[in-house]
Amino acid sequence: MAIKILLGVLLTGVVIAGFGFPMSAAPQTWYELPVIPGLEDKARIIFFHVPTAWLSVVAFITSMLYAIQYLRKREAIDDIKSSAAAGLGFMFCILATLTGAVWAKFNWGSYWNWDPRETSIFVLLLIYGAYFSLRSAVEVEEKRATLASVYSIIAAVTSPFFIFIMPRIMTGLHPGAKGDPEGAGPVIEFKMSPNMRVIFFTSLIAFTLLFYWMFTLRVRAARLEAHHHSGG
Amino acid sequence: MDFLAQHQLYIVMIIVLAIWLGLYLYLFRLDRRLKKLEERSQK
Amino acid sequence: MSATEMTPARFLRSVIAIFLKDWRSELRTRYAISALLMFVVTTIAIILFSLGSEGASADALAGMLWVVIFFGAMSGLSRTFVMEEERGTTLTLQLIAPASAVFFGKLLFNLVLVLGLNIVTVLLYAGFITGFVIRNVPVFLVTILLGSFGFAAAATVIAAIIARANTRGTLYPVLSFPIMLPLLLTVINATRLASEGAFFQEAAGEFQILISYIVVVVVISYMLFEYIWKD
Repeated sequence: MAIKILLGVLLTGVVIAGFGFPMSAAPQTWYELPVIPGLEDKARIIFFHVPTAWLSVVAFITSMLYAIQYLRKREAIDDIKSSAAAGLGFMFCILATLTGAVWAKFNWGSYWNWDPRETSIFVLLLIYGAYFSLRSAVEVEEKRATLASVYSIIAAVTSPFFIFIMPRIMTGLHPGAKGDPEGAGPVIEFKMSPNMRVIFFTSLIAFTLLFYWMFTLRVRAARLEAHHHSGG
Repeated sequence: MDFLAQHQLYIVMIIVLAIWLGLYLYLFRLDRRLKKLEERSQK
Repeated sequence: MSATEMTPARFLRSVIAIFLKDWRSELRTRYAISALLMFVVTTIAIILFSLGSEGASADALAGMLWVVIFFGAMSGLSRTFVMEEERGTTLTLQLIAPASAVFFGKLLFNLVLVLGLNIVTVLLYAGFITGFVIRNVPVFLVTILLGSFGFAAAATVIAAIIARANTRGTLYPVLSFPIMLPLLLTVINATRLASEGAFFQEAAGEFQILISYIVVVVVISYMLFEYIWKD
């Protein structure tokens, strides 16, 4: 219960701060955000875009972990969890792709450019799509769960390759791509001021809590459904 | 019209806030309904 | 050595036996030789016609070669499992051979199939599509070899997964593409390097990625195959 209240407070705060805090060239007070030349107000989207992208990856990993558990223990609940996480991940992935495209339009001129990070989120989208296509194509529950689990593991194992391949192939628009100093992360490039960083990390935490809550809700609903089916 | 143009950002903020609070309340209600269903199926 | 012990020699023999079974079946029906080759010929012809007299840049041509190879793989590499389902022989195979032998046997079959197919594809492509020039042939050959390995590895495990599903035909590329994408990107890049005439050292990075991809996919497929195969 406390988590939900906390989530409510945090995310509300993030929205207000993220949008409400004025930007000024030379921030004086704690609630003024620095202006990033070229971006100005549009930079605010980072408070929302990055967390959704982050969550779509977290959800993917969660789904894979439950997939492994399912294969090991063969308990239906693990597949329910794996599927629930994937469903949320899919949703957040779509949001991440869309917010990313909007950001790209403001920042670099066009909605899509096939830069490494954009391509990665698109591939993640494809993986989620493939996962659910597979699930819908198998009718027997146990087989469906098994095959879906296997696929999510295979996908999870082959995706890290992108981390190594992408930078070799193209220069990226995203900070942190080829041509950028080694070790520079995607966000650090931004050189966020301390108060921006607070908002950002709070947003990250709040979104994660949101994900956790939605995940438990989905699992509970699926559990009830399964209960009903088997004669509750 | 001028007012809207000047304070665009705050309009966006209100909209996002409204969407978020709506979602939040929806999830809350869902949570409570699930809890009731769970208690019923326990019996 | 008891009669039921699975020694390495026995295992290898099972693998080869499964490979030969599929191979002989293939020779009988000649599906690969007729349908698959026609597919490749048709695809290359379509590309030729769409390019017209304009042609395309060397990079684009390097990429397109692998488009043809990808769809060729999608057409042909699922057969090895789907045909077992269609003929109703899956259960028999499950009983008489250990799961991993089935996996390696069919992997071997797909490997031979895709290598043969790709060689023909490359010959046709290089022969008919002007503008496709390879300046560093050894790099290109290694790319084709490793690429074929990679395709065979990924395609085999996905084929096993979809063999039991409903919409097999369309599901196969949908599931395969995200898994094969790292392979595709690397192999297209390597082909581009070969086409430009880069030195072997420059392409070595791509080859490393290809080899690790192959190893990773084969290992994970081997570990998961039992779950896919057994009911």
